Amino acid sequence: MQPYQEEYIANLKDIAVLAARKYQNCHSFETYRETLLKNRSLIEAKVNRNIELLRNELFPLFDRLFEAEPNELEELEEFAKRLLDGKNELDGGLFCQIYQALLSHARHTKDCNAIIRCLYWLGIGRHNMCSKMVGLDLPDIEYYMSQMRLCFTEAAAYLKYYDDICDIETKGYILRSRANTALGQFKSASSKIHLTRQTLQLLQDEDFQQKTPELPWDRYIYMTHQQMISGISYNRENDMTAQDVTAIMESAHIVHKRQIQEAISNNEAPPMRSAFSCYAIEYYCGLLTLEDLLGRMEELMDLADTSSFSSDAMYTIISLPAIYCQYLREYPEQLSGREKYLESLYRKIIAYTDAFPENEANEQIFYFLRQLATTFIETAHSISYGEFQQIMLIHFAPDIYIHSQVVGKTAAAFCEIIMNEEPSFFDDIEYIRQISDPGTKRQAVLELAMNSGTFHDVGKINFISLFTRTARQWFEEEYEITYLHTVVGSTRLNACISTRHYAPAALGHHSWYDGSRGYPESYKRLECPYRQMVDVIGLIDWMDNSMNCAWLYGHTKKSFDEAVQEAIALERRRFSPLLTTRLRDKAVTEKLRQAFETARYDACYHLYQETIPHEKSPQKIIRL
Amino acid sequence: MQEMKNNDESQYQIMIDQLRSANAELSESLRAAEEENRAKSSFLSSMSHDIRTPMNAIMGMTSIALSHIDEKSRVFDCLQKIQTASTHLMNLVNDVLDMSRIASGRMTLSEEAFSLADMVHDIMIIVRPQAAHKHQEFHLEIGQIYEENLIGDPLHLRQIMVNIIGNAVKYTQEDGTIHVSISQHIGQSEFPGQETDNRIWLDLLCEDNGIGMSQEFLKRIFEPFERVNNTTTSKIEGTGLGMAIVKSLLDRMGGEIKVESEEGKGSRFHISIPFAAAPHTEGTQTLPTGQTVLIAESMDSRAQQIADYLKDGGMETVHLKNGMDAVTWLTEAQYENRMPCALLLGQELNDMSVLDVAAHVRDLAGREFPIIMVAEVDWAQIEYRATRAGITAFVPCPLFKSRLFAALSELMDKAQRNNSERLGKHVDYSQYRLLLVEDNEFNREIAIELLSQTGVQIETAENGLRAVEAFEKSPENYYDLIFMDIQMPVMNGYDAARKIRQLPRKDAESIIIVAMTANAFVEDIRLSKEAGMNEHCSKPVDAEHLYEILRKRLSAEE
Repeated sequence: MQPYQEEYIANLKDIAVLAARKYQNCHSFETYRETLLKNRSLIEAKVNRNIELLRNELFPLFDRLFEAEPNELEELEEFAKRLLDGKNELDGGLFCQIYQALLSHARHTKDCNAIIRCLYWLGIGRHNMCSKMVGLDLPDIEYYMSQMRLCFTEAAAYLKYYDDICDIETKGYILRSRANTALGQFKSASSKIHLTRQTLQLLQDEDFQQKTPELPWDRYIYMTHQQMISGISYNRENDMTAQDVTAIMESAHIVHKRQIQEAISNNEAPPMRSAFSCYAIEYYCGLLTLEDLLGRMEELMDLADTSSFSSDAMYTIISLPAIYCQYLREYPEQLSGREKYLESLYRKIIAYTDAFPENEANEQIFYFLRQLATTFIETAHSISYGEFQQIMLIHFAPDIYIHSQVVGKTAAAFCEIIMNEEPSFFDDIEYIRQISDPGTKRQAVLELAMNSGTFHDVGKINFISLFTRTARQWFEEEYEITYLHTVVGSTRLNACISTRHYAPAALGHHSWYDGSRGYPESYKRLECPYRQMVDVIGLIDWMDNSMNCAWLYGHTKKSFDEAVQEAIALERRRFSPLLTTRLRDKAVTEKLRQAFETARYDACYHLYQETIPHEKSPQKIIRL
Repeated sequence: MQEMKNNDESQYQIMIDQLRSANAELSESLRAAEEENRAKSSFLSSMSHDIRTPMNAIMGMTSIALSHIDEKSRVFDCLQKIQTASTHLMNLVNDVLDMSRIASGRMTLSEEAFSLADMVHDIMIIVRPQAAHKHQEFHLEIGQIYEENLIGDPLHLRQIMVNIIGNAVKYTQEDGTIHVSISQHIGQSEFPGQETDNRIWLDLLCEDNGIGMSQEFLKRIFEPFERVNNTTTSKIEGTGLGMAIVKSLLDRMGGEIKVESEEGKGSRFHISIPFAAAPHTEGTQTLPTGQTVLIAESMDSRAQQIADYLKDGGMETVHLKNGMDAVTWLTEAQYENRMPCALLLGQELNDMSVLDVAAHVRDLAGREFPIIMVAEVDWAQIEYRATRAGITAFVPCPLFKSRLFAALSELMDKAQRNNSERLGKHVDYSQYRLLLVEDNEFNREIAIELLSQTGVQIETAENGLRAVEAFEKSPENYYDLIFMDIQMPVMNGYDAARKIRQLPRKDAESIIIVAMTANAFVEDIRLSKEAGMNEHCSKPVDAEHLYEILRKRLSAEE
């Protein structure tokens, strides 16, 4: 690799460590805050350096890519593979950019092997993007799923010319692409299973195997069986045909048998994951009732070893409860009588998450918790969905946690000023309008502002690597993906009664006042009774982003005064004149300045209490 | 004596009978006059209500807008409502005037050539949003069409069709269904007792499952000022003149109308109007006869219609219903060097959105490959996304052969032109002059080599400052286009573009500046736009892309 490529990767690793906030040696809040600020400026310096490296080295290479030497292309590909190696992601966005460029080059030179290889890896890059979209409805993410699938489809189309292609590695890419066409979400479960079944038939075809005995056929077939059973957990029974069920049953049996054999030979306990797959498919084909299935799942979850942080233990403690919740969502009548059990599951999950060793890689636990976030069910005595989201933010996205706290508290301070001047300002919101006592109404508005701010960015949890680990500016495609955080956040908040009022701010905080720009399209300002509150959250969110994480958006960092001036300049276009007019009042801006500063300090302090073991308060989660 | 008496009696009897008959006629006339008077009174009462309703909206919204004049979005909302109300008011007035013209015999029909395809398209633009607003299922089917270009009175034909289809939408509940079929037959009226001739009869069949009409009302449906009167319709705006106008117009055009309806179940209108075919103009369309077109569309009936038209034009077709299958087929076709002459993407595919498929096929098949979208969508709403995805042309549905052939023919001509240009033949941009601003000598040489094949006059500058100086020194409109690199020593491309735009000369604003850069961050695209550049062209730049920019920008200048 080129030195700049090595340096870029080293910077990414440094930034990941700095952003992980492992400040075990900070014995006081002052030291903690000092370290935090120092690390923040170190991160900024490294981000700027990375941007410089790409501008000065990589982009000029793209500039003359068609004249690049073969060794430069090889180095570029090697660099890309270090950015995303299939398991670990250092920079998935740049990986896609590089493979997109390499694919253009391959198409230009009509190099068939390179086209197939680049299509496969570009598909993998896009699959990595798609995996961040868990919990979103297919229509919202169909574009990304299709782009991924079409890369694999095009590469797989060369199967017809399998005999013409001499390169063994390319033949492997063709087969793997064929299998990967079934990755991701489909409009119907049957389509996915049908594709996987076809792949299995192909891989089991002795003719193909004899043509290329060098390829790891056994691994391909086993992985395809795994892919087949991965469909069970989110497929409804009426989605699948009898043939589909048979195919999954066979795959579940094969995978389970093999995993048990592997466990015995490694002297380990039988894996829970494949045990559940067997139960699930028995339920789908009518051998078990739903009641039986839920009972078996409870038995598996009770067997989990909470002192182990192996992948299987994490699966049983977090992912299986997420699937359990999904069944209860589908069949709410099954919830009755299971509330207490569910509450105990949540407690176990939180304790397990808190006990997770700081030095362990926590990608897997994050993905499982994110899965639970999409299926979470509130009961009368369980933790609220909001509290669960706070735990997620504190553990995995402390910067977003701080930003959300700042937006919530500053928005509440701003609303207090507004309510003093115009007590009926938020009366478009029906439940606020119905409160006649001025004090109670004021309190309700401030609470709404605080919580709307606290939860406005919960959708970012899905795109955490884009928001907290992107060590450069976003590419246009990434910027567009992040638009989805508004839709994800709003969908999730809407799904739980305790957070429903905060969904409009999550959806609309990036829309423009005059509707000319912003996102998402599904937010219609004039039709939303919460629009005044959404306007407040949108303004405060924009100001805090301008002052603290401008680099992602390609803007220059602003001071508080500059942010105020620009907000006023955007009056009537981006921001409501009813709000910006108040920014002309010095007394108001002074209060806001203080609110921003105090809120950031408080959020930092709370984070310090929550994450530094010796200072942990007994009440870990803020009650809302 | 007795005889005389008998004669007198019979004469009296005759006179009495005559008087009775006259009285009966008078009574009938009186009843008719009273009936008409009642209808007119009812019309006046309903009209005054109907006029007052939109007027109230106009006045109310105007005062709300005035009191919130500083809130742009609120004022905009009010203006939109005012526009809707005033359009409705205008329609009311137009109906009354039309009826008055027909009644006084002042209505004349024109005889002019018109395109049925254009007319149906225009009508759909009016009617579809109304049906969509009521979440109605609206189907339009185009049957056998012998002649798309007809001679007749297009204005009044449109009025008839909008009235019939508009009524179906108006008198069908939310989530209801409306089915419209348009076709032609030759030479014989479909209605019994009419003469046979060789004219082209245009048939419109409009069926709905709306509120329907009573048999009693059906008898009076074509009388002026009559409306279905019940609690459901009292909220529906209208003058009760529409069907009377339709009938009068049809009578004058020699057309026919048949109505069947059942209260609570729906209505079925069938009209038939004779037209003469417009003379055929000399065809200039060049269709790729014998070549294959790939049709990707999930709905069999629509794909079949496209295939039938293409076969009429001498082309072969392949139909696929999935995006994945289309990409597989095209990949194989490319490998075997048997690419189709175009991809026709329909409204829907089974597995993914047509735009997603278009984006991938554009990469797979290259810039020149024609991808045509044939769909019912409003093109204005998706144009940006569709062109960005690589769609080359759009043919609106309902699909007419002429439109499909025109789109294909235009693309074939363009492809031929592009081929010639790629080969450096028949392209002559020698009357144009461009400034190539690029610091890298190697890149500059390549760009000159590629661009010079088009004959365009090229001047170069090695940095932004030199470019500004060259532009400043040149006479007005000396350069037609500037290709501007971004990362350059002395002065970068952004600053140079900004300085050029600020120069006090007429062409400083209009000169086309195209950024040429490999920088792909969101900031870079935003900055080039903010610096006043017209387009952002990503590097590595290939020849086809450069030619495309020249074609687009210089042809637009022409």
